[in-house]
Amino acid sequence: MHTSHLLWGQTLAVAQRLLLEQWRQKRGLIFWAVFPSTMMLLFGLVYAHNDSMRAGLDAAAAGILVGAALFFSCLGGTVAVIAAERERGTLPRLLTTPLHPAAYFLGVVIAQLLLALMQVVMLYSIALLIGVQYHGSLFLGGLILLLSVFSYVGMGFFLGARFARRSEEVVVALSAIGVPLLVLGGTFFPLEIMPQGMQAVAQINPMLHMNQAFKGVAAYGLGFNELRFELTFLFVFCVLSLALGIQSYQHLLGAEKSK
Amino acid sequence: MTAVLHIDDVHKWLGSQHVLDGFSLRVEPGEVVGLLGPNGCGKSTVMNIVCKLLSYDAGQVQLMGEPLNKLSYRARGLVGLCTQHCALYPDLLPAENLHFFARLYGLSEKDRKQRVAELMHRFELENFAATRVGQLSGGWQQRLHLAVSLIHRPKLLLLDEPTAAVDLEARMDLWRLIEGLRDSGTTILLTSHHLAEAQRLCSRVALMRSGKVVAQGSVPELLARIPGQAVAKVQSENNEAIMQRALDLGWAVRQHAGQMRLLLPHNLSLREIVDALDGTQVSAVSVQPVTLEDAYLELVGDSALIS
Repeated sequence: MHTSHLLWGQTLAVAQRLLLEQWRQKRGLIFWAVFPSTMMLLFGLVYAHNDSMRAGLDAAAAGILVGAALFFSCLGGTVAVIAAERERGTLPRLLTTPLHPAAYFLGVVIAQLLLALMQVVMLYSIALLIGVQYHGSLFLGGLILLLSVFSYVGMGFFLGARFARRSEEVVVALSAIGVPLLVLGGTFFPLEIMPQGMQAVAQINPMLHMNQAFKGVAAYGLGFNELRFELTFLFVFCVLSLALGIQSYQHLLGAEKSK
Repeated sequence: MTAVLHIDDVHKWLGSQHVLDGFSLRVEPGEVVGLLGPNGCGKSTVMNIVCKLLSYDAGQVQLMGEPLNKLSYRARGLVGLCTQHCALYPDLLPAENLHFFARLYGLSEKDRKQRVAELMHRFELENFAATRVGQLSGGWQQRLHLAVSLIHRPKLLLLDEPTAAVDLEARMDLWRLIEGLRDSGTTILLTSHHLAEAQRLCSRVALMRSGKVVAQGSVPELLARIPGQAVAKVQSENNEAIMQRALDLGWAVRQHAGQMRLLLPHNLSLREIVDALDGTQVSAVSVQPVTLEDAYLELVGDSALIS
């Protein structure tokens, strides 16, 4: 068998296994679906109730998707995958097989991409039902979502490989790191209502630029030129996240080998 | 004939600890070789080196005649590993676990289906086909673990204390399955703390101490190195008197973990032993033919050698 054929087969095997495991964990699957749906419904009701805020509904939907739903699904999901492998002792088992690290990494990325796609469809179905409109280019919106998912998976590998040794730690770590990032990323409130100091700090938060980029396209119909800065920032962050994720994963494999 | 595994004068340091100190071992096709020794003697290090989880610092390791350090990651397909820790995916069904690992080894779809069905049948897992692995008992999980380690038809099966974490009944079942593998010609390197397991399963045994092999051979060859054909375990208020009497009779005497063991030059009945030790205040005595346990204690153990 050719190496490329083997690697692709391994990648699909990892992705399929992760999706099957996700499907079998019914309780987790319910929370995975309920969290963004509830947020979308609650925000939708609040925005629809106040005429002065109605204009912000489109931006809120975009923020909830990129800033909250994909954050917990892709970043949280990746950290949970690594923590579970460590906890169950399956990483050393995988290391005794010809599974290439790149195939494992790519398998996780593909699984998370498919889960993210389902989140997008689910969340925007609800959003469209409560009157949200999507204004911009689907291609550009898709590109931003793709870069966001890659960034989250990269960060997930970094956090999972370096810090999360047990599944219970995942929830605590995500809450401790994630919620402040979500708030500072303008997921729940617009940046403009924050104090100047917070606004300055928020500028270095990658989630702000993800939010602003996707809100720009989805809610305000902005194009590539208007969003050049956000897209560049997001692209660089995506590359750095993936590099950090790969490096952390390799570090983890080295540590598992020498146990 | 090319050895399946040839380890020659391998050294391994972990920090300042010299874990393997000139370790050498040869495993021929179809052999079941047992690697026995106390905790920390380097057995698992050998296993980890052979399945490329660990590197070695000096010496040579050849797998199927090829230097191990020159084999690519794909060469991991030559070896199958089953440890005491059952590392499987609990939310998947047994066949799904087998399929997953088969795909990692690059088995074609047709071959995969055939092999999974074959192993499900051979390891009697068909009755649990619809049960998630996490809901299986420890013994059945370990059965599946063993099946997973064989999914890609490895040239060498490494069993690292495979029955250490299961109950007696499950252990007996696993022994039967391993015997089946042995009888069908699978080459196996086995580590274990159960000497009865090694005696029952292995065609050859290597005894390790402090990172090297101190004795090896078939079980009868190792038993022949004990200065006796039977061992009498004796309890007494007066060990000194027993010892002196046994030495006078020309019997070898060993003490291990506070227990006195007399190595008898030939099989004697309990009556004959008690008569021979008359007047030495024997409170309990048992006798049995020498086993691998006696060879282990003789060649590896820290028993005080009285004579």
